[in-house]
Amino acid sequence: MIPLFVPLHGLGGGKDLPIPAPLAIAGGTAALIVSFCVLILAWRRPRYEPAGPGLRRRWLDRFDSDGFRWTLRLLGLVAAGYAAIPLLWGDDVRINPALGVFYVLVWVGIVPASLLFGRVVAAVSPLRTINLLLVRVTGGEPEKGVLRYPERWGYWPAAIGLFAFVWQELVNPDQTYLDSVRLWLAGYAAAMLIGSAVFGDVWFERADPFEVYSNLLAKLSPWGRDQHGRLVVRTPLANLATTVPRPGLVAVVAVLFGSTAFDSYRDTARWARFSQGGFASWLEDKPFRGALAWLAGDTVLVNALALLLFCLVIGVSFTVAARLTAVEGDVRRRDLPNRLAHSVIPIIVGYMTAHYLSYFVEQGQITITQLSDPLTRGDDWLGTGDWSVNIWLTLHPTVLASIKVLAVVLGHVLGVIAAHDRALTLLPRRHQVVGQLGLLVIMVAYTATGLYLLFGG
Amino acid sequence: MSSRPLRIVSTGLAAGALLLSAACGSAETEKSGGTEVQATPVTPSTSETGSPSPSATPDDSGAKTVEVHFTEDSVEPLGKVVKLDVGQKLVLDIDAEVPGEMHVHSTPEQEIAYPAGESQAEIVIDRPGVVEVESHTLDKLVLQLEVR
Repeated sequence: MIPLFVPLHGLGGGKDLPIPAPLAIAGGTAALIVSFCVLILAWRRPRYEPAGPGLRRRWLDRFDSDGFRWTLRLLGLVAAGYAAIPLLWGDDVRINPALGVFYVLVWVGIVPASLLFGRVVAAVSPLRTINLLLVRVTGGEPEKGVLRYPERWGYWPAAIGLFAFVWQELVNPDQTYLDSVRLWLAGYAAAMLIGSAVFGDVWFERADPFEVYSNLLAKLSPWGRDQHGRLVVRTPLANLATTVPRPGLVAVVAVLFGSTAFDSYRDTARWARFSQGGFASWLEDKPFRGALAWLAGDTVLVNALALLLFCLVIGVSFTVAARLTAVEGDVRRRDLPNRLAHSVIPIIVGYMTAHYLSYFVEQGQITITQLSDPLTRGDDWLGTGDWSVNIWLTLHPTVLASIKVLAVVLGHVLGVIAAHDRALTLLPRRHQVVGQLGLLVIMVAYTATGLYLLFGG
Repeated sequence: MSSRPLRIVSTGLAAGALLLSAACGSAETEKSGGTEVQATPVTPSTSETGSPSPSATPDDSGAKTVEVHFTEDSVEPLGKVVKLDVGQKLVLDIDAEVPGEMHVHSTPEQEIAYPAGESQAEIVIDRPGVVEVESHTLDKLVLQLEVR
């Protein structure tokens, strides 16, 4: 049976206008100039390494109290329980809030929440709490699983989980059907609960795509930990430098960054023409058409491969650029990409802001009004049902475009500074300028490409 | 001692139940939150004869016209960018071999059902942004409206 309604794209209607050319060019030029200023004029000694103690205050310990932690866990359980109502019992209609909760409030909301409050997903994750309660019931310890988590896996499980999410969000043709979201979340919950039973709760820190994403973003928040694990306040850049490099970190940032770039590119009319027929007709008179014919008719597969390609291009280009330097002493060249990967996080935040700002603000409001009627019967449980949606951002496209360019450039500047500071610790003195060039060039390329995609491809 | 295997069995069961409940989700009927429009068929007597209009032509009233041609498995144009002003009327001159449906991804969403043969539909977008017009029947992007 053919369903009555299949939107090709996720939620929401209109999208942002492309940013005006002068703004894009100004942004790109600023990024270029700032980059070289940082390289040539900025400090010659690392400022953020070794990590300082941070600012300690007594009141900070309150956030580590059992009472506060359990309050947050309870809030997480209640919110997840509420969101489960429309997800499990709601009708598969456009005004069902489950989709908005999943794709907008959770996925996009992770960014502002983590930047403001730190490791929010770890604090409220209902699966973590369920695992904790299961452990209590069976009398074990949450840290201990049956097996030790292999350190060489690092963040690789999270990179795979994040790819599974962006595939669901951007490629899966059933993305806006409740069944597909149910299936995805069931698979996610199963992987988290079984993994944490086997490896202990370190599994969440390495494999939960949302928690790993949130923890990385939290490194740009003021909330950090000192060497005794106590809560401290740091400047975001100093905090960022405390990111622990683990295997797979480059893969995680590559999936986050590559998928957002793909999302921008996918929205262009050019990609629509290419993936929906242009590719097939281009292939028609090529000698190798037989070898690629299986691809030509399958838009979903073309999109999936393009998504993978975007992530691979980011991952490979960053790895190559980071390794393009001489090293000395106990620094190993193959460790460089993961030890520099934290510098991509601000770039991701800048680009995510540009890509999702109006979507988050406006679709988020729509979701909150819809949440008041979770079973789509015309209820108003939360009293938010009659809120009107403020579309100020959409009505002021020039302001919106300026904010977007500013976010991208600011992310770029922070990224370049973070990479510079780390390079001063890692690279031998005589290679410090030349050794940073590769990384600088790739960052300018990322920012220019990002602006180009926002400009409309 | 026996707690760990017990825990794995219990989480395994819980996970299995979750997966099962997701897989068994029933196919539900859909209601849409948007508006549905029926394209008006153009009978030969009322259709204007004369100059074949080039695509996206503004007429006297400021409305733009775009011709859309559907065959059974293709659509022309494919992914064409049309620039509009806020509030400007876009007239779609539809010529279809089989009836079908288009979706206008504006806020709120609009749906246009068209019959076989020639028909006309109008789109007005009331706020700036990029709005996609997709063929629901073929799952293809027909137009991308840049509204300023």
